[in-house]
Amino acid sequence: MERLPLDGIRVFDLSKVWAGPYCTRLLGDMGAEVIKVEGPGAWDLLRSLSLLGGDIERRYNRSAFFNHYNRNKYGCIIDFSQPKGRELALRLVELSDVVVENYRSDVLQRLGLTYEAMREVRPDVILVSMPSHGLWGPEADRIGYGTSMEQLAGLTSLSGYADGGPLKTGISYGDAVSGSFAAAATIAALLRRRWTGRGQHIELAQWETFLSMAGEFYLERGITGRDPVRRGNRHSSMAPHGVYRCEGDDSWVAITVGSDAEFAALCRVIGQPDLVRDERFADVVSRYRNQDELDEVVSAWTRERSHYDAAAQLQEAGVPAMPVLTIPELMADPHLAARGFWEETTHREAGTWMMDGPPWRMSLSPAHVRLPAPCFAEHNDYVLRDLLGLSEDEVSELEREGVTAREPLPGQDE
Amino acid sequence: MPDGLLSEITILDLTEGASGPFCTKLFADYGARVIKVERPGRGDPARRVGPFAPGSNPEAGALFLYLNTGKSGITLDISTPTGRGLLLDLAEHADALVENFPPGHLDALGLGAEALHQRTPRLTVTSVSAFGGGGPYAGYRSTDLTAFAAGGQMSITGTPDREPVTNAGHQAAYQAGLHAFGATLAGLYSVGVIEAGQQIEIAGMECMAATLELYLPDYAYRKTDMLTKRRGNIYSGTLGVFPCADGHIGVHIMVRNFASFARVMDAEWMLEDERFRDNRSRLMNNDEMLAQVYVWAAATTRDEIARRAAEERCSLTPILSISEVLEQPHLQARESFRKLDGTSEGRLSYPGPPFRTGEGEWELRPAPRLGEHNAEIFVELLGLKQGDLARLRATGAI
Repeated sequence: MERLPLDGIRVFDLSKVWAGPYCTRLLGDMGAEVIKVEGPGAWDLLRSLSLLGGDIERRYNRSAFFNHYNRNKYGCIIDFSQPKGRELALRLVELSDVVVENYRSDVLQRLGLTYEAMREVRPDVILVSMPSHGLWGPEADRIGYGTSMEQLAGLTSLSGYADGGPLKTGISYGDAVSGSFAAAATIAALLRRRWTGRGQHIELAQWETFLSMAGEFYLERGITGRDPVRRGNRHSSMAPHGVYRCEGDDSWVAITVGSDAEFAALCRVIGQPDLVRDERFADVVSRYRNQDELDEVVSAWTRERSHYDAAAQLQEAGVPAMPVLTIPELMADPHLAARGFWEETTHREAGTWMMDGPPWRMSLSPAHVRLPAPCFAEHNDYVLRDLLGLSEDEVSELEREGVTAREPLPGQDE
Repeated sequence: MPDGLLSEITILDLTEGASGPFCTKLFADYGARVIKVERPGRGDPARRVGPFAPGSNPEAGALFLYLNTGKSGITLDISTPTGRGLLLDLAEHADALVENFPPGHLDALGLGAEALHQRTPRLTVTSVSAFGGGGPYAGYRSTDLTAFAAGGQMSITGTPDREPVTNAGHQAAYQAGLHAFGATLAGLYSVGVIEAGQQIEIAGMECMAATLELYLPDYAYRKTDMLTKRRGNIYSGTLGVFPCADGHIGVHIMVRNFASFARVMDAEWMLEDERFRDNRSRLMNNDEMLAQVYVWAAATTRDEIARRAAEERCSLTPILSISEVLEQPHLQARESFRKLDGTSEGRLSYPGPPFRTGEGEWELRPAPRLGEHNAEIFVELLGLKQGDLARLRATGAI
């Protein structure tokens, strides 16, 4: 069997929703043994976002949102708010290299599962905390979700149409950013532990993390003394630079032209080679000034063909262009298909479907979906009996006491 | 230099623009020695992206200053035999090489992973590009706008009645660079497990396709396009960006937060009302829910909303301008922005550490001038003589 980069690393995953689970999915993809622990009633709210009808049994095991971001993980149910649950959590910490959590800033403290408590049972543990506003500071008690971070970092104020107001990114972008940073932070801390023998507590304040995605704007503000302007699809110097309507319903192609050579290539492709001599478009500055007119010319050509066709013709001539791929198009796209990006995954209850594969491609240790996402309580026995060494009777007793469960209790997110 | 989190690591950085430089910047700020190789004379094109600070580093605009903090800058023409030889020498001193040339470019120069591994078997080699080294689009040209279009995120960003729109900045490039950072760290960690340097490939298109929230998973599983359309700012009465009396606010209310939201709106009656009291009824009556939020927000200022949200611990956020972000008391108390005191860029605010470590420092250091560290790297690290440097300079190799 091929070895994966994080073979032998165990991650105790207390995280929920998207930011934390995306971090631990990346770690799981890389070969870490990720043990996701949910509470009997405090299960991951993504389980409730299945968009399936109420008549479907055990819907909570069929949420695609949950199942995509929790693949390559084991699942176990423990109620940490009970003393026995806390004790089990600490025994799991003892067996783990890494603990990841994205609770509100006060939750671990309240549960008595602080870094200090963890370090007592596992001196070299790496704890990764990812509260939205951080663990300290005047607003540390606030809560925020994935859409909040870009808003608080100023990105939303600059996104959107040049003639419109602020615009939300299509996804809860902050979660994807925080999750990716947290996975990198975890591996950096693992490297550091290899050199020093010591673990550490990483604090990833998601608001603060997101500042790195907008860094140049803070510098720009410092240089010009003004807020940067909202440009939409346009560029500070390139033209044409935009998204153009194509044949079909809601079909678009993105085209950008930087150099004179690219512009000449564009003009040839659209059958108007003489445009390069038109004084309105003769150089970069003229094209920038007259880009409204230029956009009309480009649109007239794109409207007559499909976005795939337009992009292919322009790329053939050396002009950066791509169809604006919709999600169904992305999943049918020949490029990702040829690269084997989609992996057929079979889940015990949810069935078989195609899932995006690991985006970190390694030559000597290709990563794949090895394990579908856990059903509720699916690996209780593995964790409680095989890892923690409890007997069947002890597990039954914990079930009677509600410290663990086989079926979910009604949760706070239904 | 204090003891950085990644001080043990040396990165040979053959990247320019935004994607690769974002990756290697993260290494440099956490203390890795990053040797950035630029073409003699011209350097990284990002140097010429404005605005430019009067009196500050004359060789670089804001984008370059941000993305190249902490790096050692050298010049080297790797297309010449001399340059190629020196690059192979430098690689022997590195743990990882990161590059974002068009796929196949380094191979054509005789500097592909095979050639690098022949001399330095434990070198991690990371390639960052929009589409990866294989597949029908491998030779496609790319800019941030076209890369964003390729990744699927653009198709769901914007309003339904208008064209899809990118978000601000260099988000396609940064996402690729961020993933390259994590993957390179994983590659470096794996050298202790696999005992050989890996070749890592990061395709921005795949990174973005992997982070389409619930929209791609839902389509992949249920095969319905219910959630694959653009919806502008308003996703539902409990999720979106709403106009308020003096600006905009972000609303992101999970089921567990609804009671606090009703209190913030002074509308606790909603908790008893059959149209709004549980999630299902709110979805069924979304138009009425929307009307409640619109009317309340339009009559309330951003500060008032922020104050009430804080009291109720409700997940509402102001839409902040860049100037306002820089003045946030929470970020100031945490020193979330840092300055390069005593340098020509000293007035500018840079984002501080994206994550805070328990041990192993993060440190902001200025971006290099073109070839600033030639002597340090070629003489001190590789052992060349000053006379060699002069000759290399004269032949245009550095």
